Amino acid sequence: MIDLSDWLWPGAGLGLVTELQQLWWYFSLSLWLVAAAFSLAFMAKAEHKGRYWLFFGLSFAGNMLLIAALDAISFYIGFSVMSLSAYGLVVHSGSKAARRAGRLYLQLAIIGELLLFAALILRASAAGGQYDWLSWQLVPLDHLTILLTIAGLGLKAGFWPLHIWLPQAHPAAPAPASAVLSGAMIKAGVLGLVVFLPAGDPVLQQWVPYMVCLGFFSAGFGVLAGLLYRQPKVILAYSSVSQVGYLIILVALAWTFSSAAVLPVLMAYAAHHAIAKGALFLFAGVNAKQRLPAWWQLLFWLPALALMALPFSGGAAIKTGMKSLFSSIPMPGWLDAGFMAMLLSAGAFLTALLFLHLAAALRQQQRQLNDDSGGGAAAAGLYWQGACLLLLTLTLILLPWLWQPLQQLSLQTLTLPKIWAVSWPLLLALLVTGVVRWRHWRLPERYYDRKSAVLLWSMWLQRLYQPRRQWQAPRLTFNWRSLERALNRAAPDNVVRSSALLILLLLLAASAFW
Amino acid sequence: MSAFWLSYLPLAIILSSLLPGLVIFTLKEHQAKLRISLNLIGVTVKLVLVLIMLRAVNAGAIFYFSVPFLPGADLVLQGDALSLLFVTLSSVLWLATTIYAIGYLENSPLRSRFFGYFSLCVSATVGLALSGNLVSFLLFYELLTLATFPLVVHRGTPQSLAAGRRYLSYTLAGGVLLLTGVALMHSLVQSPQFTPGGYISAVVAEHAGLLQLAFGLMIAGLGVKAALLPLHGWLPQAMVAPAPVSALLHAVAVVKAGAFGIIRLVYDVFGADSMQLLQLAEPLMLLAAATILYGSWRALAQQDIKRRLAYSTISQVSYITAGVAMLGPLAAVGGLVHLVHQGVMKITLFFCAGNYAETLGVHTIRQLNGAGRRMPLTSVAFTLGALGMIGIPPTAGFISKWYLGLGAVATGNKLMLLVFVFSGLLNAAYFLPIVYRLWFLPPAGSWPHEQRLSAKFETHWMLLLPVLFTALLIVLMGLFASTIISPLSWAELIVEREFRYD
Repeated sequence: MIDLSDWLWPGAGLGLVTELQQLWWYFSLSLWLVAAAFSLAFMAKAEHKGRYWLFFGLSFAGNMLLIAALDAISFYIGFSVMSLSAYGLVVHSGSKAARRAGRLYLQLAIIGELLLFAALILRASAAGGQYDWLSWQLVPLDHLTILLTIAGLGLKAGFWPLHIWLPQAHPAAPAPASAVLSGAMIKAGVLGLVVFLPAGDPVLQQWVPYMVCLGFFSAGFGVLAGLLYRQPKVILAYSSVSQVGYLIILVALAWTFSSAAVLPVLMAYAAHHAIAKGALFLFAGVNAKQRLPAWWQLLFWLPALALMALPFSGGAAIKTGMKSLFSSIPMPGWLDAGFMAMLLSAGAFLTALLFLHLAAALRQQQRQLNDDSGGGAAAAGLYWQGACLLLLTLTLILLPWLWQPLQQLSLQTLTLPKIWAVSWPLLLALLVTGVVRWRHWRLPERYYDRKSAVLLWSMWLQRLYQPRRQWQAPRLTFNWRSLERALNRAAPDNVVRSSALLILLLLLAASAFW
Repeated sequence: MSAFWLSYLPLAIILSSLLPGLVIFTLKEHQAKLRISLNLIGVTVKLVLVLIMLRAVNAGAIFYFSVPFLPGADLVLQGDALSLLFVTLSSVLWLATTIYAIGYLENSPLRSRFFGYFSLCVSATVGLALSGNLVSFLLFYELLTLATFPLVVHRGTPQSLAAGRRYLSYTLAGGVLLLTGVALMHSLVQSPQFTPGGYISAVVAEHAGLLQLAFGLMIAGLGVKAALLPLHGWLPQAMVAPAPVSALLHAVAVVKAGAFGIIRLVYDVFGADSMQLLQLAEPLMLLAAATILYGSWRALAQQDIKRRLAYSTISQVSYITAGVAMLGPLAAVGGLVHLVHQGVMKITLFFCAGNYAETLGVHTIRQLNGAGRRMPLTSVAFTLGALGMIGIPPTAGFISKWYLGLGAVATGNKLMLLVFVFSGLLNAAYFLPIVYRLWFLPPAGSWPHEQRLSAKFETHWMLLLPVLFTALLIVLMGLFASTIISPLSWAELIVEREFRYD
């Protein structure tokens, strides 16, 4: 670790000290590097390439800095650099939709930043001028600080109801940027929630069950909302909302006394989701651009199935791990472990539904490309992008078997009942999708692809802070000169005498008060 | 250090800009080289002297110079840590502004008059910083008013004359109020030297009402220059002055003189304890909070760049007052360090606004579209200044806001934390759209009035260099805030000495 406290502020330091930081650093770094490599080919013909790489580099640096930070201020610096420069990535295309999405993103990023600022101030005051994580572990929390922290970081993490920028910003950004936005940057908010709030704090314990409920709701909401959209990147964004819901459940469990048991699952979930979601966003980017050979379907289905928790994939190991956590961590009576396990299975079913829906949307996109252009020629760029995707996919397949904590979870899933437990939601989803397609059951058209109301809200906010006109203080247009002249005319000879009298009177009045 | 220097160094610091200024008045218009050399020699000498004094004060030396002036009140110059903070700020920024002004006013008429008053203005500011009692403070405060008026009306247009008239009527009226207040104080407790912890505690019980009245009068007098809420009207109008003048007015001279006066008044005349006893801190803090929000709110609707910056100044200077009025050590550090940080950030922004106006003829925010590609360095500087104003780390603005926030919580004013957060939001709301226009929107075709001022750079190097220097300072002061040469450490030193009495 690098100790910077002599140079910067007390406790300043960078380093990968905990296992949490190490893992977070490695998966974020790999995703960023792959996305950068992908951009080389993907953005080859784009305009303003310099600007793209500038903001890409800045947000990369910010993201890495916040992970390696050993104190709150370094984290905050990295967080702001990342948040603000990601704006440049969101609006990169310059289209109207991108600018709208960018506006919403920036508004919420600034609000989140300032909420986090207030939380940091309260926390640093409570800690008596110490800024490093270690000293913060011992300082008790209060409800206001917790609320501000969750709101400030949650706006980045993007669970319901703080998710509103996600479905707007992710489709607007170029594919590699959405991959890192969804894979790495929203994980920064999750990481912050773990390191800012010390596990086992008595006040924080009161929040745990509610955050678990919020996580479950977010998980379900993301899927149901995503089913109503037909643009692949919007579906993926809603899937992120849903997946962050599970991450929030794990974060909330990590706040309890048994955080040592929860953290490996949390780390595994974050890394797994980052790489799978990154790969899917990259795939969606290529898919929207050109006709793809049939074997490319593999590059979609492998990460998608991993997220759907197919047996033998990392997803299945993580879901099993989560289920066993529910039974081991004490929760208040109304939040029963069996009920939560059931919710988890229902969640797996919904996730599977969403990815089947996504597959259909991607196929539809390909078909339209076929109709429009008759297919583009395969070029070196395509192979390069395919190689990047393949790299991510291979990581995803190998991760559960090579990485120690996840390997143990994976080995536990190899019994038949466990395999059945993770398979039946998938089979059910397949069945339901099949029936729905066969019977042509659809909601009325007006429910699909609705324009989000948050854009109106964002525009209203903009009008509020960029007013055309404002209340003006009334101008006093009183003409003193004419009054003065009139006075002079009234008393032409004895101005001096009257002035002297006035001064005398004033003095008398003053002495009376003395 | 010898006794001679301990007594005459403060005087020498004032004279180092006063004498060149007086000589410049006598110069002919075409003696540009001589004028420039005189200016630069003055700046250099002043910087060297300030550096010597800085080291001595840091080591604990006491500077004291006095000549008889009024019965019972000598003209006293002193050098303590607080005055050195302001002296250093004004000397360093005077250097930047002098270079900028030379480039900005190249080939324009009446330069001798301009630079003469410019030097007078800095002399008055430095004198005000070094003055050791209320009477000497008042003297330099009024001199400052008189020295800045010719700068505000320098262009001689009807608009600037109107602004000048307004400026004069506000500041002279404020001066009268301050005079009354100082006279009242003098009749109560004489005018002893400024002392940490104040010198009125003996008479607090006896003359509470009169002391409150005197405080109100003096705050009203100082509030005119510091642009506190009902008295801020002159500031947005005075922005018609040439860019270097606005920069100096907003960052160093006039506005800061008011804020500095408030700091002196609160800590060295009344003192924190008496402020508490007289219940003066709370109203001042609330007034500052109202000004912070009002200034930011008004800035939202301004379409002229300099006007928006002017309203932003109203808001930001009140951070200083707020920090001082919270009466806690951490809040005081925040307020004092913001005196420096706001100066550097605001001067950068005004330099940039001047660069856009001079190079491209751009005056309103709408015309700025795409200026980032035409003038990248200026735009980077503007962006840094804007981020600093919002308080984004690692800029200097973050440091002051951080300490102000800590101070607000430490003194139990959580409401003030809300004010700072909300003001940060408003700052973002009126600065980020400008940054967006600079970098993300395409230029609208041709610029209103473009000039090629340099073959190599985007504009004249003398306009560019000061901007880059101050922009670099913004980042360095933020990043290395904890090193011993930073303004933050100096502010901590001041607070340590101010709060040591108890």
